[in-house]
Amino acid sequence: MTTPTPTKALEDQSRVRFAPTPVQRVNIRRIVVYGLLILGAAIVLIPFLWMISTSLKTPAQLFTGQVNFIPNPAVPANYLEVWTQLSSIKPGMTFWRIMGNTLFITILAMFGEIFSASLVAYGFARFRWRGRNLLFAIMLSTVMIPGIVTRVPGFLIWRELGLLDTYDPLTWPSLFAWGPLYVFLMRQFFMTISAEIEEAAIMDGANVVQIYWHIMLPLIRPIMLAIAVLSFQGNWNNFQGPLLYLSTPELFPLALAMRFFDQSLSKEAPLWNYMMAMATMMALPVLVLYFLAQKQFLDGINIGAVKG
Amino acid sequence: MDPGPLNSYLPTLIRYILVAVGVGVVMVVVYRVQIAFGVRREAATGRALVMPWVIGFLIFNVFTIGSSLYLSFTEYNLFRPPEWIGLQNYQELFSVSFAPLESRNQRSSDVLPPRYREVIRVEVGDGGFVFGAREDGFWRSIKLTLPYAFLSVPLGLIGALGVALLLNQKVRGLGFWRVLYYMPAILPVVATALLWRWMFSQNGLINSALSPIYTLFGWETPRWFTDPALAMPAFIIVSLWGIFGSNSVILLAGLKGIPKELYEAADIDGANEWAKFRHVTIPMLSPAIFYNLVTGTIGALQVFEVAAFIQTPESVGTFLNWLIYQEAFTFRNMGMASAMAWIMLLIILALTALIFRSSQAWVFYQGAREEAA
Repeated sequence: MTTPTPTKALEDQSRVRFAPTPVQRVNIRRIVVYGLLILGAAIVLIPFLWMISTSLKTPAQLFTGQVNFIPNPAVPANYLEVWTQLSSIKPGMTFWRIMGNTLFITILAMFGEIFSASLVAYGFARFRWRGRNLLFAIMLSTVMIPGIVTRVPGFLIWRELGLLDTYDPLTWPSLFAWGPLYVFLMRQFFMTISAEIEEAAIMDGANVVQIYWHIMLPLIRPIMLAIAVLSFQGNWNNFQGPLLYLSTPELFPLALAMRFFDQSLSKEAPLWNYMMAMATMMALPVLVLYFLAQKQFLDGINIGAVKG
Repeated sequence: MDPGPLNSYLPTLIRYILVAVGVGVVMVVVYRVQIAFGVRREAATGRALVMPWVIGFLIFNVFTIGSSLYLSFTEYNLFRPPEWIGLQNYQELFSVSFAPLESRNQRSSDVLPPRYREVIRVEVGDGGFVFGAREDGFWRSIKLTLPYAFLSVPLGLIGALGVALLLNQKVRGLGFWRVLYYMPAILPVVATALLWRWMFSQNGLINSALSPIYTLFGWETPRWFTDPALAMPAFIIVSLWGIFGSNSVILLAGLKGIPKELYEAADIDGANEWAKFRHVTIPMLSPAIFYNLVTGTIGALQVFEVAAFIQTPESVGTFLNWLIYQEAFTFRNMGMASAMAWIMLLIILALTALIFRSSQAWVFYQGAREEAA
């Protein structure tokens, strides 16, 4: 963290005096700030590194009672072995199948969520109609309803429809803008677009579908990207929904496959190396996406928090 | 039975497309009907556009919440139709009893009424008291969930505020720190729950790293999640790791939004660092703190994945959300589960109302003040 700074020259001059000069005081302050930041980073990173380190260990290296972050020998084959293990319990639970399931649910839910939220937000932001503010307030207040309240009747509805143990409950309800937060974020963004753009288009005889498609969608692309990242993360990581609706192991997404594998292991000496390999695999796509789209991601979160 | 990949993806995909088309049709119909009744085009379009949410809200919120309330007054195990039993589920849940202990070695079951089991036992001097309930699992879960929320949310906020203030000190590589600190919040909770169970296990990282300290003080190696005294602190550590970074990124954005002129004005008035923090930073940051407080409390009361992956001994109990899930889908007591869910809903509403009510005293909305002035 000792990067050369413009104050470097000043700092060298001030060494000769004993009383702390303002520059030295600034330096002490900097050392404290960076020291604390590095400490925080260590707290964040150590569990994460431990996950990766464990995923590369042999079973013998697991329970040594010593802190060892660098596995010797390192066994990257754990990442394949965990799937061999899993499909030896249930032959249908292959890597491709489980990944396919996870992606299928994630992509359909993400697309529905973003598309419907953009329509609803457009309706709330750019048109004046009676009852708008009331409906919007009701929508926001649904955030407070704990999912578990609607879950029992929800389960009964899907049971009535004969759609339990299918992907339906996890995918197409997203078309009904099930995430009020995303609607809220997009509405805030829509409101920043100047009305003149729309008026010009109306003058040219464009209808609302054309305005939405050709003018609004390109303009809201930044927030769409931010929400896409949030939504991918949310759906990829989703555990509660699949746990409730899916019972056939071959249909499981990663989160449930992990639970299935966890429960199949002995309680006394669980094979933490395999479990951590699976956990790392589950975290990897989200992490990659996060690092690629970090700006959109953090912006999306901040729009919601600060402008709310 | 596994229907195979194609037979599990394709039917859902077809229904997905049909539903999408259906929603579109509803929007067009809603628009046309309004125009036919002479509603302005602008209003008709706006209402048509919000239809996807309105339909979803009616089915997945209004209808389900209504059904849930109804079910909470019934006994229903999926096999026979729901049977109306009035307030019986709630009566069962609120069957609690306080009983004094006459001596230390008196058993809790001796002082409690029949069918009541101990939830809390406090021994004071040669006596004490016992709090017991018929649904002891539910009360134990309340005893775990509420203090967990009350401790983890403020602690997380204070930690986050500290980190946000650090990051606001003109540090180099701000982007790098932000990305790093936010990372725990984007990791799958399922993965982190497993990771922490491993870290806190008997031979896990935490016990291995702290073993010199244990030997120094002659302590036994703690069994975190299975020790009634340590389970709660362990859960709080897990939650803090998950949230303090993400909250700090949100608070940092709030800090960046504070106009420089306010600090300059404070400097002219001769304010010291603390006065600036107390009278400029905190009031200007209060909306962001408020947001974190509301969402944090709602979230903390609904911990699910952590409870699903980390087993606790019966005396500790489990988190409310997971308890309700088990009541409904493991034991198939849909009625009782709905009653518990309603109590949870009321707790969340009460706490949110409390935070909102108090916010008038401490949250500073710039726009609102300017309007009032």
